[in-house]
Amino acid sequence: MSFDVSQVKRDFPIFQREIHGKRLVFLDSAASAQKPQPVIDALVRVYSQSYANVHRGIYTLAEEATAEYEQAREKVARFINASANEIVNVRNTTEGLNLLAYSWGEANIEAGDRIVVTEMEHHANLVPWQQLALRKHAELAFIPVTDEGELDLAALPPLLADGKAKLVACTMASNVLGTITPIKDVVRIAREAGAVTVVDAAQAAPHIAIDVKEIGADFLAFSGHKMCSPNVGILWGRHEMLESLPPFLFGGDMIRSVRKYDSCWNDVPYKFEAGTPSIAEAIALGAAVDYLTALGMDAIHEHEVQLVQYTMEQLADIPEVHILGPSAERRGGVVSFWMDCAHPHDIASILDEEGVCVRAGHHCAQPLHTRFGVQATARASFYVYNDEADVDALVAALRRVVKLLKR
Amino acid sequence: MNGDLYREQLLDHYHNPENFGVLEDPDIDITQENATCGDTIHLTAKLDDEGRISKVMFEGHGCVVSTASASMFTTEVLGKTPAEIEAMQLPDIQQMLGGVTLSMGRVKCAMLPLEAMKKGLQKLAKSA
Ligand SMILES: Cc1ncc(COP(=O)(O)O)c(C=O)c1O
Repeated sequence: MSFDVSQVKRDFPIFQREIHGKRLVFLDSAASAQKPQPVIDALVRVYSQSYANVHRGIYTLAEEATAEYEQAREKVARFINASANEIVNVRNTTEGLNLLAYSWGEANIEAGDRIVVTEMEHHANLVPWQQLALRKHAELAFIPVTDEGELDLAALPPLLADGKAKLVACTMASNVLGTITPIKDVVRIAREAGAVTVVDAAQAAPHIAIDVKEIGADFLAFSGHKMCSPNVGILWGRHEMLESLPPFLFGGDMIRSVRKYDSCWNDVPYKFEAGTPSIAEAIALGAAVDYLTALGMDAIHEHEVQLVQYTMEQLADIPEVHILGPSAERRGGVVSFWMDCAHPHDIASILDEEGVCVRAGHHCAQPLHTRFGVQATARASFYVYNDEADVDALVAALRRVVKLLKR
Repeated sequence: MNGDLYREQLLDHYHNPENFGVLEDPDIDITQENATCGDTIHLTAKLDDEGRISKVMFEGHGCVVSTASASMFTTEVLGKTPAEIEAMQLPDIQQMLGGVTLSMGRVKCAMLPLEAMKKGLQKLAKSA
């Protein structure tokens, strides 16, 4: 590990507060991450020094805001090895995926076509495709998940063999199992069969290095708020794919010229950025990218693998705890579990009394929970600011759950 | 702070719920889902000749709050009219649970049995 976690923790002002008189142990970063001071500073600086609407004014302030907004786009592009004109600012991953389901989906999916997703998708990368399939009378097919929580990749080629599959949408990392999927293989197999590929990188971008050229997909989406930024989303698309797509939302900024009865569209990515964007948030995402890049994405991943390994070792000593998903080296910083003696709501409530924040529920992945025969799980997820002391607090609090609720 | 949620009284109801099961030939038969976690409660009930609740049973796997709430609810509402149940609100449930204050996230768990009963009574009124 090549960064000092205690120093990193000090970068996040929220860790100065207490919960119920206890130290804050934040283990819900998979839902949304905390923000470091440089990101907060970036927001404050924009609003106090260089805020104006972008792409419109020809006065100094507007030009400064526009320049910063575009510089942030370039930083995001470098972060995933893409070009700036392939980076579309959206609200979040969900909006990016819906953009594709409407813009690409309406133009390309017909009755009888097949859309392939996986059993481990977050609802954000399932429901838009499910509803597209229902609208178009297309078929929705699933790559199954094995008992170990891995994608059953052998099931993919048969779904592509008849040439009816037009799209394969797959997560890069599961928000429940933690599984890091073999995304390059999925994309390669899908593209060889002529299918368009969409990658949900919401749980990947904050935690592992992403190189869109290496992955080779057509589209990839992620959310800034899960990677230390305010809430902006990014949709990346290969330039020629973005060029070929019709716009999704219409209005200001996305047009080149408007006549009374027809209009011409602006170039990509602006064609997809209708209306005033989240300007300061997008600029602060640039600061978040700088922050994570300075820590090093490989070091972040390594740090999380170590924490997950330690967590799984510690939890193995509590027989009432059952962990879903693969071994530590095959996952990101997510550990979901259920307990014989306690409902996830009670786990989360009792942990909260100890200052430990975990999530309870189906984590927007109901079909996956059904697959494993559980209604809900509790989830601990880790990020750059978590350390072994946080895991120890989790484990101690779970022992308290057992003590309180086991009869 | 949820500390008082895990007092003995609620835990007793959680571990040994009253009226757990399904009534035969019920007047009310309703299943209600808690959208935040997917938990369901299956509530069956009978009314007496005056239209008052005379017997309630429930089944379903839930958390301490929803299970204890359902268990206590099955006796709390005995003898009540549909109008009286329709008028019940969160403070009534909190009082039933022994005066606990529920955090926002747990309100839905506690309210699940009451919501199910209200829905069941509305269904019954419509079918009458
Ligand atoms: C794998 C995955 N995909 C998509 C999303 C949706 O992200 P957002 O809510 O930012 O749109 C999430 C967030 O929970 C996620 O974990």
